[in-house]
Amino acid sequence: MNPAASTPVDADTTVIDPVEPVTQEIAPVPVDPAEGTNEDEGTHRAFRPGPIGRTARTFAWLLLVWFVLAVPANVMSPFDLGVADVGAATEAVIFAIIALSLNILLGYAGQISLGHQAFVGLGAFTSAYVVVDLKLSFWFALAVAAGMGALQAGLLGAVSLRLTGLYFALVTLAYGKFTEETLLGITALTGGEGGKSAPRPAGFDTEIRYYLLCLGFLALVLFLDWRLTRSKAGRALQALRENQRVASSYGINVNAYILLAFATSGLFAGLAGALLAHHEEVIVGSKFDFRLALLFVLMTVVGGLRSRSGVVIGAAFFALLGSGKLLEMLDRPLGVVGFNLTSFIEDSIGLPAEFVALVIGPILLLLTITMYPGGIGQQVAPIREWLLWRRFDPHAGKVEDVEVNDVRA
Amino acid sequence: MNDLPQELAIAMTAGVLRGSVYALVALGIVLVYRASGVFNFAQAEFGTTALFAAYAAVELWGWNYLQGFLFGMAAGVAMGLLTERLVIHPLRNASKVTLLVGTAGVALAAIGLQFWLFNETLIMSLRKIHDGFYVTPWGAPVTTQSLITVGVLAVVAIALALFFRSPSGLAIQAAQQEPVASELIGVSVRRVSMLTWGIAAALGALAGILTGPMTTFTAAFLSFGAFAALLPGFMAAVLAGMRSMPGAVAGGLVVGCVEQLGSLSLVSDTVPGTGAAILFVFLLAVLLVRPQGIFVSRAVAA
Repeated sequence: MNPAASTPVDADTTVIDPVEPVTQEIAPVPVDPAEGTNEDEGTHRAFRPGPIGRTARTFAWLLLVWFVLAVPANVMSPFDLGVADVGAATEAVIFAIIALSLNILLGYAGQISLGHQAFVGLGAFTSAYVVVDLKLSFWFALAVAAGMGALQAGLLGAVSLRLTGLYFALVTLAYGKFTEETLLGITALTGGEGGKSAPRPAGFDTEIRYYLLCLGFLALVLFLDWRLTRSKAGRALQALRENQRVASSYGINVNAYILLAFATSGLFAGLAGALLAHHEEVIVGSKFDFRLALLFVLMTVVGGLRSRSGVVIGAAFFALLGSGKLLEMLDRPLGVVGFNLTSFIEDSIGLPAEFVALVIGPILLLLTITMYPGGIGQQVAPIREWLLWRRFDPHAGKVEDVEVNDVRA
Repeated sequence: MNDLPQELAIAMTAGVLRGSVYALVALGIVLVYRASGVFNFAQAEFGTTALFAAYAAVELWGWNYLQGFLFGMAAGVAMGLLTERLVIHPLRNASKVTLLVGTAGVALAAIGLQFWLFNETLIMSLRKIHDGFYVTPWGAPVTTQSLITVGVLAVVAIALALFFRSPSGLAIQAAQQEPVASELIGVSVRRVSMLTWGIAAALGALAGILTGPMTTFTAAFLSFGAFAALLPGFMAAVLAGMRSMPGAVAGGLVVGCVEQLGSLSLVSDTVPGTGAAILFVFLLAVLLVRPQGIFVSRAVAA
């Protein structure tokens, strides 16, 4: 995780940004080794939920696990909530990985990427190529796709060292266009109009098993992301996002950490691309166009930069809304009271279900950046705190923590 | 099929005709950047919105062409003013990247609206102002519509140059360079900002309504649809150092020609999607080698 460990960053970052890391670093008051969750938020340390609180939290966790594991599989699911469509849920999980990948650049490093669909797309075709044409194993293909993503992102990251924010945004935009039309236009690699087949690995060929596989990878990415933010590299990124010049004056190797952020982001995006390819089983190059890149930015920003829970919820929301499954899911319970949301939107408002995301998404985006910069992450922060065995704090998720930030513009 | 010089001449003609649209878009981008320091991703969408309004008026409601044209212009300008009021002004203290995401949101909202309101019609077309079609001595096809676009670009460029010598134009320049001092001597910075966004939106609207009849169109036509002018427009603006208006015109024409190099059979037979590849390499080269732009006039660059 730390190729640039040569610089003595650890002690310095705590000096630069005394807001949070200080409490993490120099105030390690050892309390409750049994509850491993409270590494920060010193004010909550003394708090322990009572018996009712513990039961409620355990119950909420079980509910959450049931929702994620059982509902898509339609096991013990009221109203057929899962609609027996695991595919939509799988897509939501893959989109969550992509959003987390974009969150590293946009949220942690303060760099915008409008070409993320290129990392995902090349990852998808690389994996398909390795499995179908080279006849190598699925797991090896995943690794190659992730490496491919890291390589591309690393190269673009190298460009970003020379160009500041807005100009770099243009480069990523042009790179996405270039990948879409030129690289994904190579018929030998992508199979042209008909697309390229990407079979699922043995043992994961059913929808539900593949869903669980993707869920496993999401958990892995979440874990790595969590470790990244808690590591020396995470604090270095935070410092250089605030002010690169100050950060470098404290001995942080700015270039190395920016490259690290790009490579990690590309790694996740490439992995997500490979998962997407084998999820769809046949992939077409024209899927990875600029609108997809904007959708990624949309779901990350609306989800709430730097909030893992928010980003995952935002991605799942837009994925399910885009595939029309969210409305279908809402229609089951609403059907009990004789209301059908889909037909209401389609007939009374005259908006076809497949365009709902296109209309609602930008409105949510504009509302988020003008009025609620913390996005969904800020809204769910109190619940998140509560679930992590802390006090329910309505003021959790302060705005200044999560504002869209750039130091390179 | 042809010999190379002739093919090159045909490609350059097409490049200039296409480039004049890029130049119109680039002028709007430069104007907005100078006023608000924003990379306006909605610039091309002002054009698509205007085009859709003109299409609705002329083809669906049966207005005459001039009325439809003016209605389209009004729709484009209204969208520009609304963007300034609802997104740019509330975010004036936010970071530049936030503003960029905001304008991208505006573009997406407009695209969503186009899908919503026009989803019954799959492919739309607006009739041309004049149906003329010529072939130049070296064999390049030219339509009256594209000649009109070049003419409009010339008129607009001259008008803008004159405008920036008028009191309103000087007020815009003053407000950009010294907002506080301009307020002190009685220039309303808010009104100036509205004025700039209005003019920029009008430029985008012109590009949209003039380009639409050249081909059929769908939602997001001018941003990344059949006539994607957003990225080339930005490249033209970058060539102009994001500041020079004459530079934006020159940049637009150059980008149009460079892009057309990809259509030469020598290149297009070997690499797919050559236009995009050439533009990417070109942008990267310009930004890395000469980030301050190429067509930068000294007076404006200050």
